[in-house]
Amino acid sequence: MKDRLLMIVFILVLGSILTISLIAVDNYTAPIIKKNNEIKIKKSVLDVFGIPYSKDTIEKVFSDTVEIRKIQNKTFYILKNGDIAFEIKGSGVWGPIQAMIALKSDKKTINAMVIIYQEETPGLGGRIADKSFLSRFKGKKVVPELILVAHGKAKGVNEVNAITGATLSSKALQKIINTNIREYLPLIGRM
Amino acid sequence: MVYLLTIFIAAIFTHNIALTYLLGMCPFIALSRNMKTATGMAIAVIFVITLTAAINWPIYHLILIPTHSELIYYIIFIIVIAASVQLVEMIMERFFTALQAAFGIFLPLITVNCTVLAVSLFMVLRDYTFLQTLFFAFGSAVGWMLAIVMVAAINEKLRLIGDIPKGYQGAAIIMVIAGIIALSFLGFAGMVKIQ
Amino acid sequence: MLKQIKNTEGFKTIANGLWRDHPIFSMVLGICSALAVSNKVDNAIAMSGGVMFVLIATAIIISMLRKLIPLRVRIITFMIVIASFVIIVNKFLEAFFPIISLALGPYVGLIITNCILMGRAEAFYTHNNTWLSVLDAIANGIGYSYTLISVAIIRELLGFGTILGFRIMPAGWTNWVVMSMAPGAFFVLSVFIWLTRTLAKQTPD
Repeated sequence: MKDRLLMIVFILVLGSILTISLIAVDNYTAPIIKKNNEIKIKKSVLDVFGIPYSKDTIEKVFSDTVEIRKIQNKTFYILKNGDIAFEIKGSGVWGPIQAMIALKSDKKTINAMVIIYQEETPGLGGRIADKSFLSRFKGKKVVPELILVAHGKAKGVNEVNAITGATLSSKALQKIINTNIREYLPLIGRM
Repeated sequence: MVYLLTIFIAAIFTHNIALTYLLGMCPFIALSRNMKTATGMAIAVIFVITLTAAINWPIYHLILIPTHSELIYYIIFIIVIAASVQLVEMIMERFFTALQAAFGIFLPLITVNCTVLAVSLFMVLRDYTFLQTLFFAFGSAVGWMLAIVMVAAINEKLRLIGDIPKGYQGAAIIMVIAGIIALSFLGFAGMVKIQ
Repeated sequence: MLKQIKNTEGFKTIANGLWRDHPIFSMVLGICSALAVSNKVDNAIAMSGGVMFVLIATAIIISMLRKLIPLRVRIITFMIVIASFVIIVNKFLEAFFPIISLALGPYVGLIITNCILMGRAEAFYTHNNTWLSVLDAIANGIGYSYTLISVAIIRELLGFGTILGFRIMPAGWTNWVVMSMAPGAFFVLSVFIWLTRTLAKQTPD
């Protein structure tokens, strides 16, 4: 009986000491983690609009140039000239793909795109994050639908050259863009 | 429903927990020397993974989130795993003596099999619903079984030939076999996608 | 003089951790993370740091409490202690190294089930004083780290042509994609185990 009691007291004391130290660590790191996530999004917004910034001026540049508007839980980032950016996400070949896409003020032409997160095969599908690939999207129409075609075959205003050797990742990205745009466009129309 | 099946298939083939995520390797190396132990361990793993995932989901979503104590979910999960392994052991000892004789020795080892904890962590990371969690857990465990049984089968035959260089006997050759099987599993890539 | 040093407890502890009972080569423990996060050197360094921290912290706590821990609940005690320190590592990475934290994903949490920790706690920290336990933790930590980091150096060099993000290979280098994926991990680690076992003239079990 005495043994049992000792056991329970031991676990309780140890548990509470550890819990207190964990709460202390959490209190200390939570605001930093929150800020990290905000900065990550802000960076990608500034990147996709092509606005120059440095490590220390992110917050200021962002609040000076970008307006945030929320419609039905979706967040839109708007520039003064009417360019509009939003986050798109979906599943790639190996894991989720998360990107920021910017449309021109006509709301159907892609101005730029940056990848925030991807786990595609390095060197193959992973090239969807390369600037040389993403720049192919500039000026392409998302209406009625964006199509990725085999390399060198892109002709129409809504056709983009896919990555050779990474057909699956290219197709996944195409699907992500189209399904997200279809969801976001009606909301943009209401602005 | 289609999505549940996708998760299941993905967990076995395209996102195999042993061959893609490289988890559960300690027992994998230690037990893939013959088919019988490999199968025994794998069946015990299937049972424990599915059980703990089914317990951990409600604990995380119905207790930890409402009380804002997500911070300690690692601790809770590992305790749940240790406790359910103990419980399964006790139940088997009491009621299923034959099973106990076959799988009993593997059970204590499962607590430190990282696949069990990993399935619960993936469940949180990917924000699965309860049903998705069940399919994912069962699929991952079956995938692990597939991997370990394949490697054990090849290893068993290979040792009959007995021409393995000395330093390569044991762990190293198992890794080469696993590597080749992992390579062939890359062929499944893109067959189904999960988020 | 040399012989004297060689016979001290401290020296034996370090030598065992670094070479004779090396956790990965000789006992094949804790290799999940050695395989999974060794595709890039910076991930490997972060992981090594995490494991090292948890090892030392666990060694201190467990060895100090070793006379108090009731025998029947010792495993669960180890787990709670280890899991708490892993949470601290995870929060620390999330706050100060968000990119690495994202790349490591669930593998940070899986330090808990790294068999090296449980194994050392059960075999060493419960029977030895704090000083020796910390030495053992450092030796095992370094033993684990140098393997992880050397595997990562090879994999990143061949798989991406870089080390720590710096271009090493000439411009015409074709990346060996397989090195950056799961099979490459198996192949490189198997060569490592073979080399060390042959060099140490160990008989396989």
